[in-house]
Amino acid sequence: MTTVREVRIAGHPFVLRSSDVVRAMREVDPEPIASHYVVVGTRRFPPKQIIGELTGLDRADFTTHQARRTLIRLGFSAGRRPGRTTGTISAPSRHRPVIAPRPLADRLRPLAGSWVAIRDDDILHSTQSPQELVAWLSRHGQKAESMFRVPEDELAASGLAPQ
Amino acid sequence: MRFAFRDIPDPGTSGVRPRPIVDVVVEGLDVAPQACLLDSGATAVRFGAHVAEICGIDLRDAPRTRLAVGGAVVTALMAEVTLEVDDGSQQYAWSAPVWFCEPWAPSFGLLGLTGFFDHFTVTIASYQEWFELTPAS
Repeated sequence: MTTVREVRIAGHPFVLRSSDVVRAMREVDPEPIASHYVVVGTRRFPPKQIIGELTGLDRADFTTHQARRTLIRLGFSAGRRPGRTTGTISAPSRHRPVIAPRPLADRLRPLAGSWVAIRDDDILHSTQSPQELVAWLSRHGQKAESMFRVPEDELAASGLAPQ
Repeated sequence: MRFAFRDIPDPGTSGVRPRPIVDVVVEGLDVAPQACLLDSGATAVRFGAHVAEICGIDLRDAPRTRLAVGGAVVTALMAEVTLEVDDGSQQYAWSAPVWFCEPWAPSFGLLGLTGFFDHFTVTIASYQEWFELTPAS
């Protein structure tokens, strides 16, 4: 279901749809998360990256708080990187409870077959190839603690062929 | 150097599988340490060929062999490389022959006897889900 909101950002009126957000970010690489993030699909983006991408506005013209609030009103989950604050994820609707972050293994599950970079129990980035992943880390000056492909079958998980 | 087992999603179920996995910096590429599984059943250290590529390891004149990994026959090229582990308070680096394999199905590098187990005394407490690596003097 698409949620539509009329918003005003940096003095400009916009009509934003949740489906537009998903479409706009589909081919976009998430930038490193400093603190706040918003989940689109299975990926985390800095809120200002999404609003900048969607509206074409200069990111200096609006705040992270504005971007985050706008996206929450469109139905997206928002949170902060674990370890820096409370680590809770705020739900987009008042009818949904505030939930604690899921264990890393559960967050990895939807990414089966993808390459992931991990730091501080957080998924920094995921890609379809290890070369793309290392290029992303280098491009953004990021350092992972670990990289691997999330196992998609028994052979990948154990290194052994099924019996 | 003590490490906790790492919970990996169990493919095909909603469960997790705790594994003795350690992150290894290969040839100083510290932006992306490679998750590696301790595998005492492997005779050597084995990685996917992609690891050589991203670390810039030249395999043009490397010794080559065919070997079986997980029931599949793969082409493997060997290079002597620097490996490093870090538990947050201690680091240990060593040089080891590593076989870079293509194709490569496992999600992780495999740390086998030659190149890994011959550099450490390894204690695995599987029930308590930790393992300890003590560098051999």
